[in-house]
Amino acid sequence: MKKNKTMIVVFLAPAVIMFCIIFLYPIFRTIAMSFFKIEGVTDAVSKWQFSGLANYIKLFNTELFRISMWNIFRIWLFGGIIVMGLALLFAAILTSGIRFKSAFRAIIYMPNVVSAVALATMWLQYVFSPKFGLFKSIGELLHWEGLAKFQWLDPSHLFFALLVAYCFGMVGYHMLIFASGIERISTDYFEAATLDGASKVQQFRYITLPLLKGVTKTNITMWSISSAGFFLWSQLFSMVVSNTQTITPVVYMYQNIFGAGNSMTERNAGIGAAVGVLLSVCVVLIFVVCNKVFKDDDIEF
Amino acid sequence: MAKEKRVRERVNWRRELRLAPGYIILSLWVLFTFILLGWVIGASFSTSREIFSGTVFQFESGFHLENYAKAWSASNVSVFFTNSLVYASISCAFLVLICAPAAYVLSRFTFLGNKLIQNGFVAAMGVPATMIVLPLFGLVAGWNILNVSLANRAVLIFLYVGINVPYTTIFLLTFFSNLSRSFEEAAAIDGCPPMKTFWKIMLPMAQPGIITVTIFNFINVWNEYFMSLIFANSDRVKSVAIGLYGMINSMRYTGDYAGMFAAVVIVFLPTFILYVFLSEKIIAGVTGGGVKG
Amino acid sequence: MKKKMLSALLCATMVAATLAGCGSSGNQPAADSGTEAPAADAAEGGTEAPAGATGDGLVYWSMWDAAEPQAQAIKQSIEAFTAETGIAVDVQFKGRTGIREGLQPALDAGTNIDVFDEDIDRVNTTWGSYLMDLEELAKANDYEATANAGLIAACREVGGGTLKSIPYQPNVFAYFYNEEIFKEAGVEKVPETWDEFLDTCQKIKDANYTPITNDNAYIASLFGYHMSRLIGEPATEEVVKNGDWDNEAVLKTAQAYEELASKGYFSETIESNQWPAGQNTELAMGTAAMYLNGSWLPNEVKDIAGEDFKWGCFSYPAVEGGVDGTEASNYGAQVFAINAKSTKAEQAFQLITYLTKGEADALLSEMSVGIPADTSNTEWPTLLTNVKPVMDSMTTRYPWAAGAEANADMTPIIVENFTKLCGGSLDAQGFVDALKAAGN
Repeated sequence: MKKNKTMIVVFLAPAVIMFCIIFLYPIFRTIAMSFFKIEGVTDAVSKWQFSGLANYIKLFNTELFRISMWNIFRIWLFGGIIVMGLALLFAAILTSGIRFKSAFRAIIYMPNVVSAVALATMWLQYVFSPKFGLFKSIGELLHWEGLAKFQWLDPSHLFFALLVAYCFGMVGYHMLIFASGIERISTDYFEAATLDGASKVQQFRYITLPLLKGVTKTNITMWSISSAGFFLWSQLFSMVVSNTQTITPVVYMYQNIFGAGNSMTERNAGIGAAVGVLLSVCVVLIFVVCNKVFKDDDIEF
Repeated sequence: MAKEKRVRERVNWRRELRLAPGYIILSLWVLFTFILLGWVIGASFSTSREIFSGTVFQFESGFHLENYAKAWSASNVSVFFTNSLVYASISCAFLVLICAPAAYVLSRFTFLGNKLIQNGFVAAMGVPATMIVLPLFGLVAGWNILNVSLANRAVLIFLYVGINVPYTTIFLLTFFSNLSRSFEEAAAIDGCPPMKTFWKIMLPMAQPGIITVTIFNFINVWNEYFMSLIFANSDRVKSVAIGLYGMINSMRYTGDYAGMFAAVVIVFLPTFILYVFLSEKIIAGVTGGGVKG
Repeated sequence: MKKKMLSALLCATMVAATLAGCGSSGNQPAADSGTEAPAADAAEGGTEAPAGATGDGLVYWSMWDAAEPQAQAIKQSIEAFTAETGIAVDVQFKGRTGIREGLQPALDAGTNIDVFDEDIDRVNTTWGSYLMDLEELAKANDYEATANAGLIAACREVGGGTLKSIPYQPNVFAYFYNEEIFKEAGVEKVPETWDEFLDTCQKIKDANYTPITNDNAYIASLFGYHMSRLIGEPATEEVVKNGDWDNEAVLKTAQAYEELASKGYFSETIESNQWPAGQNTELAMGTAAMYLNGSWLPNEVKDIAGEDFKWGCFSYPAVEGGVDGTEASNYGAQVFAINAKSTKAEQAFQLITYLTKGEADALLSEMSVGIPADTSNTEWPTLLTNVKPVMDSMTTRYPWAAGAEANADMTPIIVENFTKLCGGSLDAQGFVDALKAAGN
């Protein structure tokens, strides 16, 4: 076993060292930074001014930050429900024995591999346009006034527009994970159920769903991870000045570190760090809850 | 995967009819995707005025290939492409070299801290990139090396590799644990040391998983935005996503919508073509199909 | 299944990976993977790129995006500059976003940057501590002989009494309008007071055009300008910074805009206008008549508006009982500045002088439909003919958005609610209440 020991060390070392440099060190430093007032992110430690919990208190008292947290929560929850619902529906259809399965699958997954910059631009500049947008054209084609006149991009609906566009891109990935979970369920169950006279829907409810716990956990975890880092879409949906409907904590953090919009504003990297800490705490909480709910299932890919 | 072989069976109309709602739902979704892309491609050959008046597909003023010429030449697109290609390829190679051994060890041996490392890696996947970028930028900036484009590239690649280590390791870990132990046992009987066994036998056997995870890493690095935004200081080291963002911005400042959509298509196309050829592989990777080799 | 699908693209990567694996043949396999990545990267990276910053030339970070006419004009002039003086210049066209977000961290990080540019306020205020004092250099080169005295004075003012930046591409913030529509609607004189403004809007509406449009990026300016007309800019800034939404000017402003909205003077899609939708699809396409924006607007939309678009311009109208009149607005320029740490100040100033004077300045003005900075370039682009009197009439200088965006934490909230007010989905009291609620 002595040999194994050197092997373990040698094989693990690079990955663990990378992990420490890229993850551990920055995380600790960020936590530390969140207790200081730091003007520039590159300032030396000697220029930091200790401010205790001031950054956190300021954050909780800032309406804009609360809005950004609320936004990310809405994206996570509503987006999660929409994406998981659609993904499960599509997965169920895909595995029901339809033709052209791989073609459907490939096309639905495709937005995932495309640069989000390109995708968001298509939606924002084209699909939602009140002048020449796709939804407007569809509404006109179907003589559906409501859709044709719908103002996707006004302050009351912009969040909804962002959610729709984002979900469109995300469904494919989660659909694949669900589909693979369904495919792994032995066909014997379904055959027995069919013999007992259970309908397709009943089979789905009583066999498929309970057996999908593992992949559901994977899906929720992956969804939470991608939501927490929500930045690019938000930035693309609010060029030049951020707005209350699309601002997320990461965008808020970014503004505090690099300055915001057209106007000149004060920067404080400490606040940015505090945002990062709070966000990570939320992710950890979701992980813990997830682990409690789906106790014994390992993450499955 | 066996199920797909049945595609050639005779059309059973009653069965198909029962599946009709499914077909309709999926077809609508797919149709929507096609219209979306089709329009963007159409718009990229059109003019801004035609786009605004909703007459994209009439091409009244002809086919405007110059949109592409303009988007391409104005923004050094070829530089972004080369950069991203280089970053993605090198990062992928390093990721395999670093993560495969680690994943193998984690999957095969029980030792103190094994679970801890695994959990740490899983947790790291949930850490927002912004959380770690700040201190790293402070650190790297302190070395005063971002002025040298070679060092700047090295830093970027180092980051791309580091940020993807947890995901790659966990992915390969699942893969290795599904490989039978009998291979190592046989090798051990033949007197092959464990390390050699790994490089000569286990790694080649893990090839399908490695290919899949490499495709993912490749796409991730290729499309990566946040790190490049902060660390890619000069036009010479910019990656595709940042380049496109700049292109879109300048098209907006000049009101050149046709050019903007042309830029979108330019960036979209390589990944799309790659995807057309590799979609089965990629999908197999997501669904764990790769695990079955 | 196993080897069938080795993709062409991944071949290289895979070969590299497997080679490394085989080559080490078990002795010290991890030596490969354990090598510090950056070192190895550098070796590999070295084969594909020419070396980076050359070291002996100037480095100029530009606020323009490469595809913009300003960038093209500057690029052309820099080539001429290099040919003439032998000083190499490495221009990085960062774009607005790139420079706003990237410059400061880069300067902190000690990046080699000699010259950079941005808006006069941003450079002097936000980046004030990174600037080199240019008084000596300007004197030595007799720079001010042909410079716009007003702008130089403005630079000194925001620079804290000393000259730290050199203005170019002067601009002014005002209402820009489509003369054709004004003519068709029978508007003979540009509105100078709020009542005249309302009257103008009504005439335009009667002629079946949209009187006013805007985009989310500039809409806060409407609020800021009206407030500042009422109580002056410093007071507006105080209100915004301290959340003093009970100030009666806020309600008065909101009521004025509620009236505009209820009379249907705003574009139907005002709420959905994500910049640059409004300026392109409405103003430039000739369906809307007026847009409050900077004098860079005609340039930004010129490809859509076409050659024969006739631009008119008037300053934000005066409001009854207000402090400021049409003589006040945000006028200024983009400015060049030199990094205080630059070791090539002389050459950098030479470059700035070259770009802001004579032929280069004329070229920039011509290509980007901008106002020339050099007073000996007296010819303004035709599109801007009507901007000159407005520019010349300015005496009081507002900062950006006349103070409306002075508080970054409030800007998105002001923008959201003010947009709703303009779209009619919020009334004046509702607007004030929303801001008050956000302030708590």
